[in-house]
Amino acid sequence: MRQWKKITLFFSIVWRISHTYVLLMLASVLLVGAQVLLNVLLPKFLIDELTGALRGTYLLLYAGAIVGSNLIIALLNNAIKRWLDVKRDYVDNMMRRVMAEKVMKVEFGCLEKPEYLDLKERALFAFTNQSAVKQMIENTAQFLQSVVTVAATLAVMLTLSPVLVLLLLLCVAANLFAYSRVMRDQLKFYENLIPFNRKYGYYVNIGFHNEIQKDVRLYDMSGMISGRVTDYGREISGECDGFYQKMGRFMSVNGMLNDLQSALTYGYAGLRVLGAVFGKMPISLGSLTMYVSAAASFTKAATDAGTSAVTIAAMLGYLEPFLQFMSLPEESDLGGSLPFPETVESIRFEHVSFRYPGSETLVLRDVSFEIRGGEKISIVGLNGAGKTTLVKLISRLYRPTEGRILLNGVDIFEYEHSAYLASIAAVFQDYKLFAFSIDENITGCRPGSDLVGTGAVIHRVGLNEKMAELDEGVYSMLGKSYDENGVELSGGERQKIAIARALYKNAPVIILDEPTSALDPLAEAEIYENFNSLIGDKTAIYISHRMSSSVFCDRILLLDGGTVSDFDTHAALMEKTDGLYYKLFNAQAENYRVEG
Amino acid sequence: MKKTYPLGKTLGRLVQNAWKQNKRLFAYFGVYTLTAAVYPMLGVALPKLVLGELTGSAPSAERLCWIVAGFFLAAGAVGFLKTSMYFGSYHKLGLLRLEYLRDMLNKNLTMRYCNTEDAKFYDEHERAMNAANSNDNGIEGVYHALFETPAVLLTVLVYVVFIGLKSLWILAALLLHVAAVFWVNRETHAFRHSLRTEIGHAERRVNYYAETANDFSFGKDVRLYGFKQRILNNFKQEIDAYAAIIARVKQREFLLGFAALATLLLSDVATYGILVRDVVEGMPIADFSMYLAAVLSLSAQLKILAEKAGTVYSEGEYVYDFFSFMDEDLGERGGTHPAIAGDTLEIEFKNVSFKYPRTEKYIFKNLDFTIHKGERLAIVGVNGAGKSTLVKLMTGMFEPTEGEILINGTPIGKFDKKALYSMFSIVFQDVNVLAYTVLENVSCHAEGDRARAMDALDRVGLGKKVRAYPKGLDQTLLKIIEEDGTDLSGGEAQKLAIARALYKNANMVIMDEPTAALDALAEAEIYENFASLVAGKTAVYISHRLASTRFCDHIALFDGSGLAEYGTHDTLMALGGKYYEMFTVQGKYYSENPGEVRA
Repeated sequence: MRQWKKITLFFSIVWRISHTYVLLMLASVLLVGAQVLLNVLLPKFLIDELTGALRGTYLLLYAGAIVGSNLIIALLNNAIKRWLDVKRDYVDNMMRRVMAEKVMKVEFGCLEKPEYLDLKERALFAFTNQSAVKQMIENTAQFLQSVVTVAATLAVMLTLSPVLVLLLLLCVAANLFAYSRVMRDQLKFYENLIPFNRKYGYYVNIGFHNEIQKDVRLYDMSGMISGRVTDYGREISGECDGFYQKMGRFMSVNGMLNDLQSALTYGYAGLRVLGAVFGKMPISLGSLTMYVSAAASFTKAATDAGTSAVTIAAMLGYLEPFLQFMSLPEESDLGGSLPFPETVESIRFEHVSFRYPGSETLVLRDVSFEIRGGEKISIVGLNGAGKTTLVKLISRLYRPTEGRILLNGVDIFEYEHSAYLASIAAVFQDYKLFAFSIDENITGCRPGSDLVGTGAVIHRVGLNEKMAELDEGVYSMLGKSYDENGVELSGGERQKIAIARALYKNAPVIILDEPTSALDPLAEAEIYENFNSLIGDKTAIYISHRMSSSVFCDRILLLDGGTVSDFDTHAALMEKTDGLYYKLFNAQAENYRVEG
Repeated sequence: MKKTYPLGKTLGRLVQNAWKQNKRLFAYFGVYTLTAAVYPMLGVALPKLVLGELTGSAPSAERLCWIVAGFFLAAGAVGFLKTSMYFGSYHKLGLLRLEYLRDMLNKNLTMRYCNTEDAKFYDEHERAMNAANSNDNGIEGVYHALFETPAVLLTVLVYVVFIGLKSLWILAALLLHVAAVFWVNRETHAFRHSLRTEIGHAERRVNYYAETANDFSFGKDVRLYGFKQRILNNFKQEIDAYAAIIARVKQREFLLGFAALATLLLSDVATYGILVRDVVEGMPIADFSMYLAAVLSLSAQLKILAEKAGTVYSEGEYVYDFFSFMDEDLGERGGTHPAIAGDTLEIEFKNVSFKYPRTEKYIFKNLDFTIHKGERLAIVGVNGAGKSTLVKLMTGMFEPTEGEILINGTPIGKFDKKALYSMFSIVFQDVNVLAYTVLENVSCHAEGDRARAMDALDRVGLGKKVRAYPKGLDQTLLKIIEEDGTDLSGGEAQKLAIARALYKNANMVIMDEPTAALDALAEAEIYENFASLVAGKTAVYISHRLASTRFCDHIALFDGSGLAEYGTHDTLMALGGKYYEMFTVQGKYYSENPGEVRA
């Protein structure tokens, strides 16, 4: 029944995306049923007339009915296909949007767990490499069509002979029995193939990845990459060999059983035409035609039902990661209802410990400190000391494993989720810009929605000259991945846009995590010099490996191995000549001492 | 759109390659073609025989049973062979594709480096590069179609003669109908093709949103800056725009479809009209059934034939593009000079000017300067001054637009490219850690030297960490391939890249911003080790952290227009130019008296 749950979940999503699509699918199922019945029934009348009275009007009527129904069904088919084809692409794309929406809504913690990254990759792999959505939908339609056909043709044949129906069902049962065994192999094969396909895909993709082509040439890595591709290609080939042999054997037997069904029907119906068999009345030649064609449709539909059922099961396997992903908890579930306060008076960590979900090691251990409203602090520490983690906690991207973070004395999770996020402006070291227009990147609203505000922050980060250079100024699209006329900006310029975006947000708390790593010394100095005026009276948290940046902060929070080892002013910390801060500062300062 | 391409040659080459790789396929093909051609005819013969017996002068139950049993044996045997052959070869045809895909991959991995930075190059060769990417299209699509088409063709020929002998009118009407169906497909295809720029454009935009919105690394910014609704709205717009274009194609197909419907009517009227008339005029009902079955079967087979032929023709063009691409000489252009052995390098830029292909702006003009043998040179400069371009030029990844570059007096173009690349150990700013073992990541080969790799890891300070891994050097990195793979932090990845360079132990060392992601102590560690890492070798250190200049012999400062200043730290400081300015700006916060600065 778990399969059933997956199917209902899948189709409830499809139904939400497009009612029309599902309805059209059902219409096409009914149409096929009608077509089969007409094809089975109508020729009977024509043949009976041809072998009987040969009345002109009736011949015309019966032949006309066949020709006319063919035409009408073809027309309806064309019409349904026209809309279904469009909707199919639409639904396929909308599924990716549903997925995207979930990615943007899911608890942030999920996004940094490798297992969910993997889950997402597998979900998208099913969409893009296996066309799982299309296949799932088409095979479900095929399955329903087959079931309708089987029911309709069985009904027709029952009027001939329950015994014959029993014989045919025996054939189908034999088929199904054989199939159920192959089906297990087939599902296992599909399942085994998923990881191989993924691995194969990974190595092929890195081979075509532009970023690594320098390394490939300088370190002569082509052999290593194509070697892996060959290895996995061989493994896939081995998997296929065994499976397709089995499949071939089964399909051959299946074909023979189908031929047997034809032979049985013709034989039995023929004997019925010749005279009373088993005490039954003789039937006409027209009826014979009807029954054999019903039997043929029955056989084909029964086989189709089997294949589409297996494909559905296989596709559910591919879609499972997607469905699992869709049931992850969402951020809006995190609760909190208080409005965000007018002014930030303090941010306080109370014995906060944190380990990343699924990890054993504590990244932060019993961290307690307090930042006063309007204060500018710098967080300093070695790689892996927990600096970025700490600001992620303040940004409410994670919940502390132990302890609390209080803003104005209230646990930050008590505040309403979106209001809280609206009050934090953070530039992370791995900040991202979108292939939108520059001003859209800054405002998050439609292009041109606030040119004055955008202009002001662009000026403040020193990008106004660059904007003047661009043909379309702030309306220029960033990057070429979306718009081929987009502009490519340097790392430094992009970083400035990210800073402008944070400034534009005008939030009471601002966090800058390594905001100048891509800037050259002059641009970096510019940001440093303007730092205080950029930030104004906001509460600011600054992280940088450039020790010089801590000089202009009010206090420095020194993290060492996940604990707070000091929290003081630059001058005070420099007096502790055996401390980590002194060591770090001098490691860099030494290189800049200007002799003489 | 190219008007024609050599179809025969292209198919011939596909067949030849298949012959080279798997001769057994051809036996499968032969048996399949015969059995698949005969099989549908049995289905037409059966009703004729049964009805003939039933309406004959002395129908016999016994003979009827023999007919039916005979059919079962014949159809069973032929069908069995047909299906076995089909399944026996289906995936083998697919595996042929993997060979082509690997060839394409190798081509991409070994072609001239400059192509890999050229988006236009990829655009132009997109069709060729995608020809081996799918089961149903391109190479594999054509292989399947080639395998299956001759059988269909045989069946069709038999039917055409058979029905033609009965009534040319029926045949003509039927052919007209199939031609109309084919025409509708071709017209629709052509219409779609005429919209390909628009479709490609719309597809790319949909894909941009699908990729961006599903990219976890955008998660923080999406949440903190409230981009969710904006992205979803835009995404929906793009999906609708794409659907609108597809709807135009489908609408066209639907309208053209009426032509096919008209001919369907004509064909049905001819078939039923003539056959019914003939029965009235005395034709046995058995023949009526047989001809009707034959017409239906021919109609179905003809449509399959048209579809397969269409696939061969249109997908064959992609295959042709593929072959043309593979035949094109894209290999590195170089000479035959071997790598310099047992000596480090001197690199001389003589009057070098350079702009990237297909761009207008010169990165350098008339650049003259020398990196002396054994010296440690710091290259510094503002963003965009061309520091990384310099590396690409001296390693031969790009050729100068004008002027020449000499390595130990030999023009760079005279070197064999592989030899040239072998002479440089380079650490780039962006480290690409791959899902291979630690050993493979360091040695860059499947069979690396374990002791040498461990030594390199020890020297960058990763040795202890690697020894602690459960599988040591054989630990797989990243989690994408092995679930228990190891992820490295930014700093560790950087160290791994340096270990890679040490392992290579090439004539000259280049470091391009290797400390951007490192903390002050790790950075200092690398600075301190730099001398030992590069002992006795010419070394170039690129950074916009001017601190790096302290352990280098000379400094070359590049600004937007080329080499602006060159000399030792002391001379440049004394010069009081740009270097002086940058150094003091960057260093002033490190001065002993920060209070002054804050004022």
